Amino acid sequence: MAKEKQNLNKSLKELGEITSWFDNQKEVDVEEGLKKVKEAVRIIKESKERLKEVENEFEEIKKEIDLEGNDY
Amino acid sequence: MEEVDVAEKVFAISEFITLLNIGLKRSRAKVIGEVCEMKTGPSGHIYFSLKDEKDGSVLSCIIWKSSYYVCGVRLAEGMKIIAQGSPQIYAPTGRLSFIAQTIQLAGEGELKKEYERLRKKLEMEGVFSLERKRPLPQYIERIGVITSMKGAVIADFSNNLKRFGFKVQIIDSRVEGQSAVQDLLTSLNTFKKKDIDALVIMRGGGSLESMMAFNNEILTREIAGFPVPVVAGIGHHKDQPLAAMAADISVSTPTAAAMLVSDSWQRAVLLLERYEQITVRRFEDIMEIKSNMQEFLRKSFSGFEALLLKVKQNLKQTEELMNANNPERQLRLGYSISLCGGKVVKSVQDAKIGSDLDIKVSDGTIYTKINKING
Repeated sequence: MAKEKQNLNKSLKELGEITSWFDNQKEVDVEEGLKKVKEAVRIIKESKERLKEVENEFEEIKKEIDLEGNDY
Repeated sequence: MEEVDVAEKVFAISEFITLLNIGLKRSRAKVIGEVCEMKTGPSGHIYFSLKDEKDGSVLSCIIWKSSYYVCGVRLAEGMKIIAQGSPQIYAPTGRLSFIAQTIQLAGEGELKKEYERLRKKLEMEGVFSLERKRPLPQYIERIGVITSMKGAVIADFSNNLKRFGFKVQIIDSRVEGQSAVQDLLTSLNTFKKKDIDALVIMRGGGSLESMMAFNNEILTREIAGFPVPVVAGIGHHKDQPLAAMAADISVSTPTAAAMLVSDSWQRAVLLLERYEQITVRRFEDIMEIKSNMQEFLRKSFSGFEALLLKVKQNLKQTEELMNANNPERQLRLGYSISLCGGKVVKSVQDAKIGSDLDIKVSDGTIYTKINKING
């Protein structure tokens, strides 16, 4: 899990790099821009999936903790 | 007196008895026994028998009125005495009687001597040794009690026995005087066959004389060898009864005996109370830890939720940004990109009349020439 968590982190970092690429771009390089956009969309899609997983996992943990809580 | 050959001489009865009495007079002795069949003759002399306590051998005794008066002892049946005197045959009946010159209670001096002798003997044998003493088991339930139901002993014992569900069996036994020995031995034998955890033998206070039974050798040995621990509540005199010394535990009163058997239970109750307090405290500690943990969890959860939200927002922003930056989208919206000499045309200065101008649109490139520039 730690590794995958790092992946999400890495993805956010990559997305950050892409957005700053756009911010710093003076010349419009359509081909490169398109590549970057496509890359960003792929990363966003993966990240959303991963985020969903993390959220689900977190919900499970919360449920477990709650059950233990009732055992007291 | 002439020397006579006794074996050859034929004696008249009276002569022979006289001769015997001369010899008997030399058999001065002290004898000890229990007084029985006592009667006072018309002359005031006392006629009684002394009985051997062990095998019941009997010696007829007489104490003349004068001697009786002087000795200061008032005889009674069942009394154990030491008589000092010599035997004599009474010619008219041919009966041998021990003529006691003095009698004394087999108490105090003699009693003590006898007590000391027996004590030393049993001590040497290790009957009283501490190594063979057994502790009273903890949490005993079934108690055998030997005591006299007459008197306050049993009430003292029961009143001080705490309510811990004891199962007490009592055998009523005589405890006073010499005759108590047989009773006590029978009771011990009965309890030997019963399923008990401990045996308690008790008597009330009394004179040293009345304690005689508890200095009995057989009884002392029986107690020392009893299968379960024996508690003696026989009472403390200066000289502790031998039976009490042989018992595993000796206390002075029935109250003390009752406290003793209740003791482990009593302590258990105290321990339980203490453990209960500790448990309550521990539970409170646990509740506190639990609430701390819940607080920690709540903080962790909300922190993580905030983190997730941040990531989500970040992704959403990036998505929007990508949408805005997507050149395809721009082109689809009708914007186009013009290139002059491979450079993006952003200003009129980037263009020259007559040059090629390539216009990129959503589905391809339109190649043109620049005719005119307004700027």
